[in-house]
Amino acid sequence: MNALIIGQMAVSGALMGLVYALIAYGFQLTYATSKSINFGQGELVMVSAFFSLTLTNLGAPYWLMVPGGLLFGALLGLIVERAGVRLALEQKSEGWILLSIIIGLFFFSAAENIWGRDDRPFPTPISADPINIFGVDVTRLELSVAVGVLAIMGLVELFKRRTLLGKAFEAVSADRDAAELMGISATRTVMLSYGLSGAVAALAGILVSPITTVGPTMASALILKAFSVAVVAGLDSGFGVVVIGMALGALESLASFYLGSGWREAPGLTLLILALAVRPTGVFGKAAIRKV
Amino acid sequence: MRRILLLRGAELIVFALLGTIPLLVVNPYALGLLTLLAIYGILLIGLDVTVGYLGQVNLGHVAFLGLGAYAAGLAVTRFGLGMVPALAAALVVGLLLGALLALPALRLEGPQFALATLSFAALSTTALNELESLTGGAQGLSLERPPLFGHAITPAIFYWLCMILLALVWMVMRNLLSSQWGRAFEALRDSPIATDAMGVGTYYHKVAAFSLGSGLGGLAGGLYAFNFQYLQPQSFVYELMIILLLGVVLGGRKSLWGAFVGATVVVLLPNLLSNRLLFHLFSGAGFAVALVSGLRGLLKKTTRPFQAFAPVVAMGILAIGGFFVENTEDWRKGIFALMLFSVVVGLPEGVMGFLAIFLAKLFRMPPSALPEPSDLDVVLPPRAQGDGPMLVLADLRRHFGGVKAVDGLSMQVRAGTIHGLIGPNGSGKSTVVNVISGLYTATSGGMSLRGAELPQGSLNRVARAGVARTFQNLQLFSELTAIENVMVALKGVYKMPLPLVLLGFARLEERRAQADALALLDLIGLKDQARTKAKDLTYGAQRFLEIARALARKPDLLILDEPAAGLAHPDVIQQIEIIKRVHARGVTIILIEHHMDVVSELCDQVTVLDGGKVIAEGAPDVVKRHPKVIEAYLGTASGPAPADGAEPLPA
Repeated sequence: MNALIIGQMAVSGALMGLVYALIAYGFQLTYATSKSINFGQGELVMVSAFFSLTLTNLGAPYWLMVPGGLLFGALLGLIVERAGVRLALEQKSEGWILLSIIIGLFFFSAAENIWGRDDRPFPTPISADPINIFGVDVTRLELSVAVGVLAIMGLVELFKRRTLLGKAFEAVSADRDAAELMGISATRTVMLSYGLSGAVAALAGILVSPITTVGPTMASALILKAFSVAVVAGLDSGFGVVVIGMALGALESLASFYLGSGWREAPGLTLLILALAVRPTGVFGKAAIRKV
Repeated sequence: MRRILLLRGAELIVFALLGTIPLLVVNPYALGLLTLLAIYGILLIGLDVTVGYLGQVNLGHVAFLGLGAYAAGLAVTRFGLGMVPALAAALVVGLLLGALLALPALRLEGPQFALATLSFAALSTTALNELESLTGGAQGLSLERPPLFGHAITPAIFYWLCMILLALVWMVMRNLLSSQWGRAFEALRDSPIATDAMGVGTYYHKVAAFSLGSGLGGLAGGLYAFNFQYLQPQSFVYELMIILLLGVVLGGRKSLWGAFVGATVVVLLPNLLSNRLLFHLFSGAGFAVALVSGLRGLLKKTTRPFQAFAPVVAMGILAIGGFFVENTEDWRKGIFALMLFSVVVGLPEGVMGFLAIFLAKLFRMPPSALPEPSDLDVVLPPRAQGDGPMLVLADLRRHFGGVKAVDGLSMQVRAGTIHGLIGPNGSGKSTVVNVISGLYTATSGGMSLRGAELPQGSLNRVARAGVARTFQNLQLFSELTAIENVMVALKGVYKMPLPLVLLGFARLEERRAQADALALLDLIGLKDQARTKAKDLTYGAQRFLEIARALARKPDLLILDEPAAGLAHPDVIQQIEIIKRVHARGVTIILIEHHMDVVSELCDQVTVLDGGKVIAEGAPDVVKRHPKVIEAYLGTASGPAPADGAEPLPA
């Protein structure tokens, strides 16, 4: 009986963990091309979810709402890149950390005032009835999260490997200067990565909202865990974030069960600081050889 | 001298004015604001250590404010301690927890560091909330100000206490940051590798700096607790952190005055939001300043279009939006965001950075004069020319995966000689240098310096053992001046223990350090450019400066990694002169070089590497005619030569 409860907690935690993985994947996309990440990514998740909710309330069907939300997320990603990241990268400074936080703060404030401070339900056609698999209850909603996350990550990876644009993306990730010399515009590729990252964040919002509800603070806890996942897994391994994301989700679900719900965030944060101490490049990251 | 008087005078006047205010003004609200100003002043000086001097985005400072506040609060309520021990507890909690976080987090740079501090802040909020039996959790913690030396504390006395502490912190930090410590902080921001290679422990200094800044955060937290007399975990969250960063950046980084200006802004912000007229005035003024400076920058072509326009747009939104929004308080985060955005993009040096340039022009303050250079015999005493080997490498190997970059290298460097290390690209020269200097650990094999085993895998320990090196890809401390670059590396001058440094006694050593550094700059012919920032020197001068900096270590063995790479011909001649002068002091030199003329002119002995192995060794003239060397550099007409034994030929 006890084992079953543990199993149940671990599985639903791991499925939530896939959302962390997806947001962390968004960090990896921009890190690959520009060695920068959007510290305001959580606000992108939240604002895109609100926008999708508005689309739904306006009567847009689910199949139209999802691409609409993704496009909006991509647009926000482009705004972050233009206003916050590009200048700092040109100056080779780390101002982008501060600027992306600031832009996120502005989005947050805007969302508070446009959509209000209350949490709202997010309607979805997918049912929340549990299905019993090997004695563990899983809802279709949770399964839809898993399917959505793995599908978009698969699609982006295919895009990177199979299309010319995707190969340009990989080239800039590998060596920005060499790619530029080959006639690939690094600036455009960085824009592309921020657009993709924004779309990925929007999808995370759309997938998670029916479970958690939509509100200005919906992403503040999510984002911390996504940071943990990205750093613990390493900023260059898509496979790594899925594994670590699911593990962290399961772990914190168990932690909140045994230690109390207030400690939910603790395992992720502790794991992060520990991982940094032991292996700064992440569990799945490659250690770079220092060169002078 | 005039400069010092002006600066000290300004400080004295401001603090004297602030000190007399409670005697003149009885408005409790104003006094409350001024008390907060002192508290935030201490807090921001602490934050500036990491954000300004270490150049890292620190998102965890607010946690130390909270932890310090709770430490002081609990010391009073739980343990019945007085005010002074409670404040000491807050300081110590900040110092210790700061060191604890810094130990893992400071192995990271940039975004990972920011993430680690952010996580720490979130974790400490969780802990304060959840440890209800200790902290009272979300209910909060109420406390009373205990009497100070038997006196009940009135608001005016508390204000004086805060101001005195701010003045003390100010003095102590000025002493520290103007000493070798402050230079080391800045140096490791520019090049952590070179800082280590100059025997200044990078990690140690980073942890010390972070811990110190966090300690000040804790102290400010203690004062915060006694000021508000009520604590809640919710007070120490992300939003406050953003405001603190706004304070530091707006005030100006790496500046005590900047922290003061920033604290003023932080204290006044809530009033700005609650008073509509004030808000319109302020946002209008901000818009005008952004517009004028943006246009000026564009016309003078000193700023890029984005840098000129973005602040104008942000301040424009602020000024115009102010008329449409019902309640500015609702938009507080958005308002902070717009202000911070304008400052970070449009005024990255902050108010004080801007004012400093302006004031320097106004008062025409020349920097204080440099002392006469020391005698070179003191700075770099001539070495006795011993006969034994200086450096012995025995069967040294370094593999990267399957690549055998160094594959069984044995060589001896005689004391007092210039030993050339040459070979085609990819022959393993740089790897050898990196293994000797401790950047890489050898896969196997032994190294000894004057018969003693050389430490492995630590730049810092190798540097302390008496080996100094230069870098092929320059690793100067680019934001420091030429003389400061040398001063950072000076060995045997800074003996003052930290407590005395904090009290300002390091000044006694500064003159000596300057004089010594100047002697070395004289040796390389850069004495007249001592005050020039390293990044503004010519390429050739930068290469020379690398050597002067390495010499400041008073090394037994100096490794020069391609000192003539990329130099124009006249500079090559000067570089040869410099190396000869250094050699004349008896310093043993390993010279990695591609210019054969330089090698022939300088070297007593040459070792030639190819494929990580020695293929020839001997005097330059002999080596040049060696068939294997010719083959390695030029190849042979009939393909690879037949194998004739892999051992290097004796020279």
